Amino acid sequence: MVHGRVEIKRSPESIMVRAYSQEHVYKHPWERVTSASWRKFADPENKRALSHILEVDTLNHKLDFATGKLYTTRAITIHAPGPWFVRKIVGQDICHCVETTVVDAQSRSMQLKTRNISLQKFIEVEEKIRYDPHPQNPTAWTLCRQETSIRIRPLSALAKMAEKVEQKCVERFQQNSAKGREVMERMCKYLEAESRGIPI
Amino acid sequence: MGILGEKKNKSSLSTSPCANLRIAYHTCFNKWYAEKFLKGQWDREECVSEWQKYRECLAKHLDDKHLARFLEADGIEALTNLTDCATDTGDS
Repeated sequence: MVHGRVEIKRSPESIMVRAYSQEHVYKHPWERVTSASWRKFADPENKRALSHILEVDTLNHKLDFATGKLYTTRAITIHAPGPWFVRKIVGQDICHCVETTVVDAQSRSMQLKTRNISLQKFIEVEEKIRYDPHPQNPTAWTLCRQETSIRIRPLSALAKMAEKVEQKCVERFQQNSAKGREVMERMCKYLEAESRGIPI
Repeated sequence: MGILGEKKNKSSLSTSPCANLRIAYHTCFNKWYAEKFLKGQWDREECVSEWQKYRECLAKHLDDKHLARFLEADGIEALTNLTDCATDTGDS
């Protein structure tokens, strides 16, 4: 195999980009949804559904006392097994990502941005998620908007394969975000029950 | 603990030596977030000792756990210059 001697073409036209966005309405208040977002990776109950998440560590956080903004940086280690030829080329199926979060308690918004910091010479994925109170029902519902962009840098000889990889990648991200939504819904229900003092 | 029991050892990248400290910090953080921060009490930092212990543990495991890469990569701007996130358009 081409191990170690792969020449990566960096001309702009060799980069394929795919972006997609989706929206979801949670019928829970913004406070509960953002609390659920913090908890979704940590809760042992969710480990099975989110088994591709191997490790989540908080690297830094900062609280702006004057404005009520909370900034957090987390490291996320993801298990992302691809087709065999990808493993052959890439040499690993673990991906490291950095997630930065800004929560504005005054205006009630939460913004998350996640991007990979490993395997960047092959692929760049950036995911942005925003949680805002739903315009039609701001006290009870939350609107989640998600934007994902995937840039593939195909090796010149492997451009066709790279296209397939990209498709797989998009599918996988969509599956995972569906799983993520399920987990969020479950966490919200849990927090709702907890806030009413109902034992689970 | 469920978290430790279910861990799949797919890599040596685990920061699990810090798992208990991580849980302690996150538990404290989640409580503070829901009960204080969201209710407008953001004038005071809490969970400081939990954070310090967890952070020290992470720092100790940075080298052998490849986590140093997180700090080397563009994550570093986020770490040192977090205020920029708010206005960052994401096109760097």
